[in-house]
Amino acid sequence: MSDEPTETPDATDETGSVVERTQRELPSWERIRESELFVVAATTLAVAIFPWLFARAPVVSGVLQGYQDLATLILIWGIFAMGFNLLLGYTGLLSFGHAAFWGGAAYAAGVFSAQVSSSPILIILAGTSFAALSAWILGFISLRRGGIYFAILTLAFGQMAFYMALSPLAWITGGENGFTGVELGKLFGVFQLRYPVPGLDWLVGTWKYVLVGGVAVLCVAAANRILHSPYGMVFRAIRENDQRAEFVGLNVWRYKLMAFIISGTFAGVAGSLFTIYSAYVPLSSFYWTTSGEVVIMAVLGGVGSLFGPILGAAIYLYVENIVSGVQQLTLPFTGPNEYVTLVQEPVVLMDGFGAYWHLILGLVFVAVVVLFPRGIWGLLMDFGSAVRKLGGGR
Amino acid sequence: MALLETHNLTKSFGGLVAVDDVNLEIEEGESISVIGPNGAGKSTLINLVTRMLDATEGDIEFDGDSILKHEPHEVVQKGVSRSFQTASIFPELTVEENAQIAALAAEHGSFRFNFLRHRNNYGEVDRLARRTLDAVGLLGQRDVTAEDLPYGDKRRLELGIALASEPSLLLMDEPTAGMSPEETADTVELIEEVKEQLDLTILLVEHDMEVVFNVSDRIVVLNRGAVIAEGPPEEVQGNPEVQEAYLGGMDA
Repeated sequence: MSDEPTETPDATDETGSVVERTQRELPSWERIRESELFVVAATTLAVAIFPWLFARAPVVSGVLQGYQDLATLILIWGIFAMGFNLLLGYTGLLSFGHAAFWGGAAYAAGVFSAQVSSSPILIILAGTSFAALSAWILGFISLRRGGIYFAILTLAFGQMAFYMALSPLAWITGGENGFTGVELGKLFGVFQLRYPVPGLDWLVGTWKYVLVGGVAVLCVAAANRILHSPYGMVFRAIRENDQRAEFVGLNVWRYKLMAFIISGTFAGVAGSLFTIYSAYVPLSSFYWTTSGEVVIMAVLGGVGSLFGPILGAAIYLYVENIVSGVQQLTLPFTGPNEYVTLVQEPVVLMDGFGAYWHLILGLVFVAVVVLFPRGIWGLLMDFGSAVRKLGGGR
Repeated sequence: MALLETHNLTKSFGGLVAVDDVNLEIEEGESISVIGPNGAGKSTLINLVTRMLDATEGDIEFDGDSILKHEPHEVVQKGVSRSFQTASIFPELTVEENAQIAALAAEHGSFRFNFLRHRNNYGEVDRLARRTLDAVGLLGQRDVTAEDLPYGDKRRLELGIALASEPSLLLMDEPTAGMSPEETADTVELIEEVKEQLDLTILLVEHDMEVVFNVSDRIVVLNRGAVIAEGPPEEVQGNPEVQEAYLGGMDA
């Protein structure tokens, strides 16, 4: 048996290259990690234990001080950032207008719930379809220009959506007050979203989390599949050298439009879930800061990977919601409310610490961009492979 | 019938006429070279044929059809592929992925809705990519990141990308620019090899006279955008007008 790849076309059958690949290399940790089944299984596991670890586990949750709803919100923004990264990280297109799809889907989902059906699944489908359609139209126009002009056009469209929702369409959107008429029915007609899951209450909490978590796993599976389809390769080729991609015979413009629509669709899934999560649509979902936040999340976590942006979303929301609430920064294990108390009197490092959360986030962001261009996820991956090398593995 | 024909092809940038009323015919299986001093309009000619630039006047026919209104990727899909003056590759992808992208475009056409289909289902793309890498002698380096290749190999890879598009006409813009004499000799050999193997028609734009005389069946001499001479290498070399415009210095 030859260990060199076959070089003549007729010597391999249809499945030839797959067989040959597995023969050439033994399954290593890298290969297992690449496999689709592993990605989906690991994501499911992580999503299942996340709220427990974050909000209820002994010691860990005490240190993190997380809570159930924040775990849900992290997954929602994680979907948004992951889809956004297909455009930013893989295709190399910076959009500053994804609030239009997040907000558009959130409003569409809200209006749909009030007017048509309160079934959570249908609400998600309605919001997502609306976002995909908007992304098609806005992408069709914005992608006429490249680089900075593209970014500015998307920003302009995003702000246009904001002002439309603020006043001309206030009779639908509720204007400044946001959309307050969201109706939420039972999941599959059976499960009340705010009720705890019988028997698994300690692990995942409510049905709402099960819905959001399930959709998140589906989204990861879909994004992972897209990256391993021909599109994944074409997107990266466009990012690397779009002129060359055009001159090997690829319709670069249509692939860019597809990247835009796909990322807008993920934003739509997330926006619809956000409506279900908060049972309310704030006007700020259309504001440009929403577009900015998702850029920061993606870059913070790492644009070169599927999971980086989800981690980025987690860190961003953690700082925004938990760190901002910290009154006094104390040394660990000092003060009365710790698991292990060394000193009864807390050693205070800084008063009013939480008020500086924007600054903290800014410093973390600058540090990541300057020191770790592959983001925090990239840093963790490098660290992991270094540890494995030390351990003698590959 | 000629594979590629241009009729009164003209391109002007403002007042400057870069390509002036050029009528070109390339027969199938022919190797022709376009030479001329700097600024003669050689690269512009290639850019016009591949639809990177819009012609001011005239027509371009490939395989009997006008391609004047086609998008660049449509021209490639019809069978016209090109290499660039600088090594235009996908730097952060591996050598194999570079070839796979071109192979994908050749096998799947310019666009498909297959974003949920796993890449393992496309064995024919992998095979075409590997065959091409083998042809340009880069199969052994298929897992190397393209930007880590030495310059000569990057140019080889670029040629590989152009070949994986499965062209019938290959346009090469100064394939030996910036190469050492050894690399140049290798490249000439490589061009002759792939021409034999893949049954290509080649249009070469080149400065290096040695390359031109080695590779071409016919030479077209451009000066200030216009064709001043055309014919087999020996004949063009002897043409006094050409010697004055371009070759004079070379013979001395």
